[in-house]
Amino acid sequence: MSAKKNITVSFELNGEKFDNVIVPARQHLADYLRGEGFTGTHLGCEQGACGACTIEMDGKAVRSCLVLASQVNGSLIKTVEGFDDDIMKIVKNNFLKHNAFQCGFCSPGMLMTTKEIVLKKKKLTREEIRSEISGNYCRCTGYQSIVDAIEESITEVI
Amino acid sequence: MKAPDFSYYEAETLSDAIKFKSQDDEAIILAGGQSLLPALNMRLSSPSCLIDISKLKDLNDIRLEDNSIYIGALATHTQVMESSIIIEKFPSLVSILKMVAHAAIRNKGTHGGSISYGDPAAELPAFAVAMNAEIIVSGLNGNRSIAAEDFYLGLFETDIKSDEILIGINYPLVKNNEKIVFEEICRRHGDYAMAGLIAKVKTYQSTIEKLKLVFFATGDRPNVTSKTSEIVVNNGYEYSVIKKSLSSEIDFAGDLNSSEEMKLHLATILISKILKKLEN
Ligand SMILES: Cc1cc2nc3c(=O)[nH]c(=O)nc-3n(C[C@H](O)[C@H](O)[C@H](O)COP(=O)(O)OP(=O)(O)OC[C@H]3O[C@@H](n4cnc5c(N)ncnc54)[C@H](O)[C@@H]3O)c2cc1C
Ligand code: FES
Ligand code: FES
Repeated sequence: MSAKKNITVSFELNGEKFDNVIVPARQHLADYLRGEGFTGTHLGCEQGACGACTIEMDGKAVRSCLVLASQVNGSLIKTVEGFDDDIMKIVKNNFLKHNAFQCGFCSPGMLMTTKEIVLKKKKLTREEIRSEISGNYCRCTGYQSIVDAIEESITEVI
Repeated sequence: MKAPDFSYYEAETLSDAIKFKSQDDEAIILAGGQSLLPALNMRLSSPSCLIDISKLKDLNDIRLEDNSIYIGALATHTQVMESSIIIEKFPSLVSILKMVAHAAIRNKGTHGGSISYGDPAAELPAFAVAMNAEIIVSGLNGNRSIAAEDFYLGLFETDIKSDEILIGINYPLVKNNEKIVFEEICRRHGDYAMAGLIAKVKTYQSTIEKLKLVFFATGDRPNVTSKTSEIVVNNGYEYSVIKKSLSSEIDFAGDLNSSEEMKLHLATILISKILKKLEN
């Protein structure tokens, strides 16, 4: 029983195995991912509020700024670079079709959150869609086009 | 910002975690990390070590017992919202959790973490107090159960001792003639409330017989206002009377979003909103 400053972890990232990686105890997962070149994961606030760092861990959307790299032992991690499934294709196409990004800073997090919404295969009103994405800030679009893209993605998968 | 330097320990058993915590005063429990990691990233806290309990087994079950529902400390908000037991027996908890943060945070944040953190603006501590829940902690000398109302001692301060870890919460079932009603006011869905209220109401032939009001985001802990409840039951709602009574019962504390005066106003309004909900 001992506490360590450097932790050894093994995990799977975007389908690739990472074995016995040594990470500092204090490093959050987003910083680790960016350091490895997965810079699609963005950092806005590092306190859970903006949603730009949202990734998928063990099948669920999580904030990578609020998970420690030392906690990922045995986990399956997917970042925006790692999705080529049908649902994400539909979501990406609709984001393009509705021009649901301008600068693109919020987009990886928006895509990740949208995927989780769409997977529920439940029709939502525009108001409900806005509540669902209330944890993702976009400073450019005014959200209309993002809501359009999500609405059409839901319709397509139902 | 980035978290300060600390070491990390992944507990394999509950008793390891308890032993570790009792030996190091500056070590701190890590559950879902959804309150702790923001605090570390903002350098509001500088523990020597994080004791990660998130992978402990058997601490996340949700079960229906004879007269109560037990929620294990590590059940995530998402898990609670999706539990068929909670959906059937405790629909009010599902609607309350919808207002707690955002989906990606609810996927990690735990029931026990929220109860132990004792954030006065959080919904769950007020819910536990309103429900007369029993909070179960485990320490070097075994388990102990604390009534929710006695658990909160002040701002982020609870009755958990230095060798103790919260393991679960026991909620008495809601009876047929009882209702849980909930209202909060916040600027953006998922944000902490500017003021919120959870009421447990006992009715008899559609009149209110008994009322327990528990406010959150008003003072330094969940605020129970028994005098005001009595006034509402006996005399009904009158803005100025209720406002005066609340100001004598709650030690209001302002925050970045709302002053004490504003919180007093919002708390008063919340009672009228709850009464309207009950009429419908
Ligand atoms: C952007 C954002 C918005 C949020 N909005 C809301 C909101 O509107 N309402 C709300 O209620 N919450 C909100 N939260 C907080 C969220 O609900 C957290 O999940 C919860 O408060 C803490 O649970 P946790 O498991 O993440 O605890 P952690 O962050 O891991 O721990 C919190 C504290 O509790 C202690 N602790 C945790 N578990 C135990 C245990 N079993 N025994 C003893 N001590 C323990 C830790 O040592 C730490 O001090 C928000 C969080 C974020 C990031
Ligand atoms: S950087 Fe993680 S939520 Fe903003
Ligand atoms: S497109 Fe710029 S922040 Fe959303």
